[in-house]
Amino acid sequence: MSEYSVIGKPTTNVDGAAKVTGEAVYTFDMTLPNMLYGRLLRSPHPHARIISIDTSEAEKLPGVKAVITGKDTPGGKYGLWRRFRELTDQEVLATTKVRFIGDPVAAVAAISEEISEKALDLINVEYEPLPAVFEPMEAIKDDAPVIHEDFPNNINNTRHIEWGNVDDAFKKADYVREDRFNLLSQHPAPMEVHSSVASYDKGSGRLTVWSSTQSPYFLQLGLADALKMREGNIRVIKPHVGGGFGNKNSTMPDSVNAAVLSMKTGRPVKIVFNREEEFTTTEHRTAMHLAIKIGLKKDGTIMAKEAKIITDGGAYTGLGATTLYLAGTYLTFPYKTPNYRYDGVRTYTNKMWASSVRSFGATPAVYASETQMDRAAHDLGIDPIEIRRKNAMTSGYEAPGQYKLESCGLLQCIDKVEERVKEKWTDLSKDEGVGITAFAYMCGGIFNWIDTPYAFSGAMVKINVDGTVDLFTQAADIGQGTNTVSVMICAEELGIGIEDIRLHPADTATTLTDLGAWASRETMMNGNAVKAAAGEAKKILIEVARIKLGENIVYDLEVKDKRIYLALRPERGFSYYDIVKDAIKRNDGEPIIGIGHYTPHGKGMVSPAFAFGSMGVRVKVDRETGQVEVKDIITAHDCGQIINPLGARGQVEGSIQLGLGWGLCEDLPTDNGMILNPSFVDYKLFRTRDMPQIELYDVPTYDPEGPYGAKESAEGTVAPTSPAVANAIYNAVGVEFDGNVLKPEKVLKALKEKEAQ
Amino acid sequence: MANTNYRCPCCRKISSNHHDLARHFLGQTDKKHKDWLKTQRLSYAQLITWQVTEFGNKGYDTLAEVLEKEAPKVE
Amino acid sequence: MKKELKFVVNGESHDLWIEPKTLLVQVLRDELGLKGTKRACDSGACCSCAVILDGKVVKSCSMLALQANGKEVLTIEGLANGANLHPIQQAFIDNWAFQCGFCTSGQIMAAKALLDENANPTREEIQMAMDGHLCRCTGYNMITEAIQDAAKRLQEQKLQEAAQ
Repeated sequence: MSEYSVIGKPTTNVDGAAKVTGEAVYTFDMTLPNMLYGRLLRSPHPHARIISIDTSEAEKLPGVKAVITGKDTPGGKYGLWRRFRELTDQEVLATTKVRFIGDPVAAVAAISEEISEKALDLINVEYEPLPAVFEPMEAIKDDAPVIHEDFPNNINNTRHIEWGNVDDAFKKADYVREDRFNLLSQHPAPMEVHSSVASYDKGSGRLTVWSSTQSPYFLQLGLADALKMREGNIRVIKPHVGGGFGNKNSTMPDSVNAAVLSMKTGRPVKIVFNREEEFTTTEHRTAMHLAIKIGLKKDGTIMAKEAKIITDGGAYTGLGATTLYLAGTYLTFPYKTPNYRYDGVRTYTNKMWASSVRSFGATPAVYASETQMDRAAHDLGIDPIEIRRKNAMTSGYEAPGQYKLESCGLLQCIDKVEERVKEKWTDLSKDEGVGITAFAYMCGGIFNWIDTPYAFSGAMVKINVDGTVDLFTQAADIGQGTNTVSVMICAEELGIGIEDIRLHPADTATTLTDLGAWASRETMMNGNAVKAAAGEAKKILIEVARIKLGENIVYDLEVKDKRIYLALRPERGFSYYDIVKDAIKRNDGEPIIGIGHYTPHGKGMVSPAFAFGSMGVRVKVDRETGQVEVKDIITAHDCGQIINPLGARGQVEGSIQLGLGWGLCEDLPTDNGMILNPSFVDYKLFRTRDMPQIELYDVPTYDPEGPYGAKESAEGTVAPTSPAVANAIYNAVGVEFDGNVLKPEKVLKALKEKEAQ
Repeated sequence: MANTNYRCPCCRKISSNHHDLARHFLGQTDKKHKDWLKTQRLSYAQLITWQVTEFGNKGYDTLAEVLEKEAPKVE
Repeated sequence: MKKELKFVVNGESHDLWIEPKTLLVQVLRDELGLKGTKRACDSGACCSCAVILDGKVVKSCSMLALQANGKEVLTIEGLANGANLHPIQQAFIDNWAFQCGFCTSGQIMAAKALLDENANPTREEIQMAMDGHLCRCTGYNMITEAIQDAAKRLQEQKLQEAAQ
């Protein structure tokens, strides 16, 4: 295979100049002529019936142009799990009752945000507070308050995964242990809050919505369902997005209310959440009670695993049902598990709902299974690296009925981490320790709960007569670098330069459907669509070149460095520019158009491919304060063929920041359904001085499913980080934990308890 | 020779295995399935709680025993 | 009652009448249309709104606009020289020191203020100066490297200018 011209080379961000000059426009920045500003009135109760809403005083306030309540909306319900209509449980505004503190009941549009905010105070809502429930185990009980009428026992979703015979296998195992964990939430806290601008065209009855979204298509569908409109009459445009990390997949009250208000006033309406709303009324990571049992031979070989999970779903579904499935799936990674059984339940509770957050399902699951793995290794007297090596998945491994692996570089990743850890961390001082973990992550899901008839990703390439290319993709760049990857793949396939391509991204009116940025799907799925589209255009170029060369059909032609030439006789060929001109002339003046799409087929129940890796973390524990300092990290990652090494490194390091935060300091305590620390002052994130240096090694493999063999790098390293820290703490000072947010007081308490023993 | 099959008492789901039928049953979130359990003096909440908090299959096993008696045969 | 605000922003003089409670970030973004400076929190805890006021980096969300009366403000829009990017901006691009870009303006302005005062900061000094800036995307290390790279570029630029 010839060396790539573009793929695999460090490439700067195609949006770079816009982002470093302040020219990049985010929805948060947008203004349109004659625009109004909307604000939402939210329930102060976690659970209450709405008796009456009087908006008359608010309507009279000068500057107010519209006030709406649930009865003023088209009444459609919406949600992501559209294939199961009972789970599309969100309303634009609550009509009969509210289900969490912050559930919106009214919306105002006025000439300024300040006036809208004042108007909220003038809306009188009479509530009948109802008993509320905040803990999943309580919510399941027969006498618990019912949150959604069609869901007795507040069970939103159940899941069962099974293969082999666990009961038999446990009987035969030499060593069996059970561990229970309580895994807490985390707020994704993107720097750009939820923002939407909606503009209703009175003439055509069509709606345009700009939004800080991870999926223009999902938003288009959500709006269509909520507003009972044909989706084709709704155009969603994604400007630059200031981060999502999972909480901008769902259609949220900013967009749907901006839309209804725009339809009512005939003017554009903008709704932006403040940071407190972002913390308290947008989706966060799913908290869960998790129990796992593992059975091993005395040499450390896994024989069976059984898992039980109850997730705290909150008031609505979002993508929480998928989290339930993925948690049960990730518990089986990255080790060969011949017998497995999983039962999971997601319950409704009267809190803001939990959904997807970067590495969803994996973060809590991998914490549990990787700390358990270490405990088992200690009990059996086996080295923690060795036990992982022994059980590591390899290429060709299949979990019956669930997934099958093509490429898998896990063993090489473990080898690399072990090599570097042994070389580098030879000087551990007192109260310092090392923890090792291994992990895997999906490259997009095969799921179609969104119920689309379209391919999962589509792209279009148009080659103009001067050789410039217009590339149309709906993929959502939310910071991860998808725009750059799209352009790189197109450039490689057509044998041209990045500078020749203009990207037209993320507009549902002008691009083919892409399902959006979640579960690390963009490089795999959008990448494949772009490669296919460019490939179709390339076929036309090759055909024209072949005719002009007049050579025997068996000779291959290549496209590279702006030439199209005979592979075996490279001096015989033509310039890309000449062929483009010729092709257009020969086709009655039509520009060269290539359309491509990708949908995974026959790839099991989870994902078309998986990335793998291993991580070592070095910590120092301060016995006086309980503070854990993360001193150094070494990680090796099999992402298949890395498309952009700069982007891949950025993704790994950002993932680690999130993982460290979940593990050590990002606490979201609630009291009777109220989040107690909804600001960056009180919600602690890792900052510059907290971050250790990270040594990152690429273990290249080739996955036949990915574009140029590429897999994911966007989320994999979130999950293994915290268990590596926990394992390192154990290695340092001998204490264990049953969950995350290992704040100093928690560590100190564990140290004191150990001393007392 | 054909296997004997059994139908879920509340919907059209058919299985040759009571255990599988129990798993299907507890996966349903609608009222009809929940109400049937009450007629059998079973608590949905208790069955699910057993199944998702205790290792083993207590929830399914308990329901499977009842379904063995109550699920209509299908030829 | 509105009060007069006379100040210079990115080299241009402005004479505005504003409500006294208006924050500097509001004047920059909403009155002057300079949207490059962002707001990401309401508690002065993230530094996305950082601009340079009379040579010092400040959080524009945490001061009243009137406090800038008679002073000079430099925002992200004032950094490039026409169509030529500032070496700090180029260093951020070349080192992949941003992803979503929402915190980037604040990061770059703080980096400029730091390098104006300390042309050759150590890694620790950079981290100290930048610790107030929240970033959810990058994990920070690539930003630190970009600032180290920017310091080198600025020193090279100085040497070239001195040689001419």
